[in-house]
Amino acid sequence: MAAGFKTAEPLEYHRSFLKENCRPDGRVLSEFRTTTLNIGSISTADGSALVKVGSTTVICGIKAELANPAVETPGKGYIVPNVDLPPLCSSRFRPGPPGEQAQAASQFIADVIESSEVIDTEDLCIERGKLCWVLYCDIICLDYDGNILDACVIALLAALKNTKLPEVTVNTETSTPEVNVEKRSLLHIHKHPVAASFCVFDDSILIVDPTDEEEKLSTAQLTVVTDEEGQLCSVHKPGGTSLSGEKLQECISRATARQREIQKLIDKVIKSIKTAK
Amino acid sequence: MEVCRSSAVSLREFGCEQSLLSRPDGSASFVQGDTSVLAGVYGPAEVKVSKEIYDRATVEVLIQPKVGLPSVRERSQEQCVRETCEASLLLSLHPRSSLTLVLQVLHDDGSLLSCSLNSACMALMDAGLPMSCLFCGVTCAIDYDGKIITDPSAAQEKGSRALMTFAIDSTERRVLMSSTKGSFSVHELQQCIAVSQKASEKIFQFYRDSISRRYSKNL
Amino acid sequence: MLSSLKDRVGAVLLPGDGFSLDTDDTISLTEQAKPDKVLCGPGLRRSGARLVACKSGVLRHKLPNVFWVDSQQRRYVPAKGETVIGIVMLKSGDVFKVDFGGSEQASLSYLAFEGSTKRNRPNVQVGDLVFAQFTIANKDMEPELVCIDSSGRANGMGVFGPGGLLFRVSLGLVRRLLAPHSDIRSDLDQLFPCELVVGMNGRVWVKSSSIQQTLILANLLQSCDTMTAPQRQELFKRVKQGAL
Repeated sequence: MAAGFKTAEPLEYHRSFLKENCRPDGRVLSEFRTTTLNIGSISTADGSALVKVGSTTVICGIKAELANPAVETPGKGYIVPNVDLPPLCSSRFRPGPPGEQAQAASQFIADVIESSEVIDTEDLCIERGKLCWVLYCDIICLDYDGNILDACVIALLAALKNTKLPEVTVNTETSTPEVNVEKRSLLHIHKHPVAASFCVFDDSILIVDPTDEEEKLSTAQLTVVTDEEGQLCSVHKPGGTSLSGEKLQECISRATARQREIQKLIDKVIKSIKTAK
Repeated sequence: MEVCRSSAVSLREFGCEQSLLSRPDGSASFVQGDTSVLAGVYGPAEVKVSKEIYDRATVEVLIQPKVGLPSVRERSQEQCVRETCEASLLLSLHPRSSLTLVLQVLHDDGSLLSCSLNSACMALMDAGLPMSCLFCGVTCAIDYDGKIITDPSAAQEKGSRALMTFAIDSTERRVLMSSTKGSFSVHELQQCIAVSQKASEKIFQFYRDSISRRYSKNL
Repeated sequence: MLSSLKDRVGAVLLPGDGFSLDTDDTISLTEQAKPDKVLCGPGLRRSGARLVACKSGVLRHKLPNVFWVDSQQRRYVPAKGETVIGIVMLKSGDVFKVDFGGSEQASLSYLAFEGSTKRNRPNVQVGDLVFAQFTIANKDMEPELVCIDSSGRANGMGVFGPGGLLFRVSLGLVRRLLAPHSDIRSDLDQLFPCELVVGMNGRVWVKSSSIQQTLILANLLQSCDTMTAPQRQELFKRVKQGAL
């Protein structure tokens, strides 16, 4: 009976739950799904992390390459993020060139990196105007169940914290770079941006961490990115129904709380890796 | 072409021309300072079977940059404009049809996204598509002294610490779309929203004036 | 609310402009208390307790309580009972598919012509122009055209003969042309004798005694959209002098 109701009237089905201040998966409105984190899951990458938010699974691998810095920014390296939503993760995505959602997500991640200054790109410079690091951050979704942006930001942050770059010296005589693979050092992470996503139902009800189904039925989506100092790095709302100031404030305070939770989680996982060694 | 000179909340001079193209069902060009965007709307027209939605119209937005092919940045702007239009249009009145909105950037001198939003709204109105409300775009920049500049030029954008673009709706003056760059505090965000809401009054008044002028011809 | 609506007649409305549907504050005791019924035409919608405009245009009023928004629009949206000029695109079995400039093609049964029967099919070819009326036009169904009225008579509808010129004008101009006592039409009458067919979908067909006159008429009509009445009369006068 319930299954039939859900298929025939998905919106009514969700509304009947929201009326009771809960959601079909048993969460209350302002509750995130359980977030699990595995850091350093890909041994061949320079840094990696696997994040699960409920059943949404995202893996991030970071590959560092040596390159010439851009002419206009000789003292800076660069970071190239890419979000891939392969057909594997949901029937919604078709093989072929990346769709709008994947491209918008890539742009969002690039904006977050730039706005939050998670890494100072000057740290990536090895020799001014000659040599710098390029960090290719490939984020691949393995299982799509909504709230992809949150998962991507967590995966990216955890992978960056895990990234170890080898020491590079430039031979002054031959002016060729020499890489010392034995000696690796961690990247310096300046800020810890964490995203929190919200959905607006029926123009008024605000829910946190939406699943795929909730995203489809909602009238608007909102993602707030904050860092540990409570500064906002992004308030991304790509259209949808309007939102009042109070609701926005509510989202921001929930996002700051979420930032603390996630930073704690990342620190805990990193600590556990160290003790395991 | 109508031009509005603005003083209090400093917006650059802006102007608009409607129905300037003959082929599209609705068209408009919007100029803010030196930034200028041309918009054309086709629809409600026939829709591809793969994109057909049984209970509402399918909206497609294409942003063409001045030079080169549309990149990832344009895609993300397209998403913002599309979802803003979807929120204000009454799409359920034209099920199984398609609305295509093409935005051609003519010149970019800052506040491009807000100019795109404004030209999109004017073009949708020109096409006579049913809408529940109007919307307008306002860009705010916060410079390193913490001063808020509305409708910044490209140079002002470059010298700013944070950049925010909001779409404001005409009925309740609430935020339909928000896209930000750079980091800022909660207080600054609220200030910027308030300033944008004030600036939106002016833009909506301009919309009303230019539409009135247009209809005054055949009264 | 009626008074607030009446105050705005002739004014320009923008999407989102609303009127509250509450009854007037003052209730007169002498007049009989009869609730006013308001009939809303295109461009006005009821949303909860409010009446909201959804198109930009001028608010018009017709007695007793009919209100609508007169807007300039290029794309035609079919409405039941309206007559349009269509182009036959396809013959498929018993129906013709007709393009009328809307979002999908309308169907026109071969039986919907005057005097046609199963045996006696009308002579309609792909590419022909037809003047027809909508019997079904709503957002959820395929629109359906007929070339007969309710009594089975052609009543001016059917396939167009050879000659003539088809062109597009704005929907606003079409409505002005079709309005009773249209001043544009009376101005046109003074120029040359012509046959004029105006479809609600913005298509106009003219045929005059010579190709030259037909072209002049087409150009004049297309330029009418952006002119005020004195400008138009001035132009018509000049054409008349030049052509004679």
